[in-house]
Amino acid sequence: MTGAYVHGIGMTKFGKLESSLKELLLEACTEALNDAGRPKIDAVYVGNFMGGSISNQEILGAIVANDLGLGYIPSTKVEGACASGGIALRQGLLGIMSGEYDTVLVAGAEKMKHAETADVTQAINAAMDTTTTEKNAGLTFPGFFGVLANRYFHETDATKEHLARVALKNRQNGVNNPLAQFPKPTTLEEIMAARMITDPLGLFDCSPMTDGAAAIVISRKKSPIHVRASSQVSGPTKMQDAVNLLSIPAIGESGRLAYEKAGLGPEDIDVVEIHDCFSMTEIIAIEELGFYNPLEGWKAVEEGRTQVNGEKPVNTSGGLLSRGHPIGATGIAQVYQLVRQLRGNAANQVDGTPRIALAQNLGGTGSYSTVHILERV
Amino acid sequence: MKIYSCCGNDSIAKKYNCAVCGKSEFEEKEVSDNGTVYSFTKIHIAPAEFAHIAPYNVVLVDLDEADAKVTSRMEEDVAIGDKVTLDRIEDGAYIYKKAS
Repeated sequence: MTGAYVHGIGMTKFGKLESSLKELLLEACTEALNDAGRPKIDAVYVGNFMGGSISNQEILGAIVANDLGLGYIPSTKVEGACASGGIALRQGLLGIMSGEYDTVLVAGAEKMKHAETADVTQAINAAMDTTTTEKNAGLTFPGFFGVLANRYFHETDATKEHLARVALKNRQNGVNNPLAQFPKPTTLEEIMAARMITDPLGLFDCSPMTDGAAAIVISRKKSPIHVRASSQVSGPTKMQDAVNLLSIPAIGESGRLAYEKAGLGPEDIDVVEIHDCFSMTEIIAIEELGFYNPLEGWKAVEEGRTQVNGEKPVNTSGGLLSRGHPIGATGIAQVYQLVRQLRGNAANQVDGTPRIALAQNLGGTGSYSTVHILERV
Repeated sequence: MKIYSCCGNDSIAKKYNCAVCGKSEFEEKEVSDNGTVYSFTKIHIAPAEFAHIAPYNVVLVDLDEADAKVTSRMEEDVAIGDKVTLDRIEDGAYIYKKAS
């Protein structure tokens, strides 16, 4: 129990946008502050990964505090690769739990679409240990999940079609989300035939480059949405050192810690946003978080159990695959969708208004994972 | 291939400390470069520094004489279970080839 509550949320459209990194950040923050009724803010945390390398822009925390007139308050940029947003939220929660702050503004933002794909791929590779022989061999971030997927196929009866079913589900969800990057429906056939990025992962199996921002206001003052648990762990930074390639221990361990803190189990979770940076990753994550047995997540996908109307709705926002993946914003955007689900006004609203929601945000190839559990009270 | 071992874990890379016992002294032993393909991918979309050689295969090799794996690059296409051996070390990367 964190004793912290969600008071406001904001999110820009995700996609290829004209706005600068700063404008995206301020737009999402302003919406969240207005949604919260413009409370006094005691601190700011901003999740961002490549503002420095791609946009030559740092000091995002101070920019938010200054341009939004929040006063001489502490502000911090948080980097944890694709988990930057989730870690920023956790830092804000810890600030409240420590007693130092009453109310904190947490945001995440990324601007990627203006840069060349090769340059962005290079910048994303900074989320691996770049001093290793495996980086020198040419392993990429998507490549790690391609290697994982081929081994998963080898040890199970899963095929590329199961990956495609994850991508199709998340696209169907994204089509109904007005803020998602991809509004266009697709088909299993189109997904299966798409050009290869890193075998066996095709274009639709990989989260896109995205511009966007999301923000959230949390406070020790009560609201209808309590942050019941926050957890974070670090995991292996190299593929060749994985004890079991088909397990991403950071996801499993962050989930176990969050369930323990919340006094809940996977069976109690009504709606889920998980880090589907690749279709394969969603299957591993639903196993690691205990929703399905190891090496059986693909069966749950085949049986439609993770669809909006299924027993465990996963990524009702469209996930990273279709909502988009502005790296630093993703962890906050997941919580944005879950708050909407708990409020009962989400895109792809789950029937019966869910009570318990879980967000899992991954950084690197399993280097970081955060889990947040929200509860409607 | 040099292997660093402690507390039952083998690795081709030396860490500062063992995650189990915390000690910084690792047992070092030399093992054969030969191994078996554990898994692989063919990378079509490469970062800027590797774009000129794409598409290329990145292969995770399970070493025959140690409980350790090596991430390597290969010019030939492979399948899981194929026997492979070290061809050369190039720009800090292990380049493997199929065992004849």
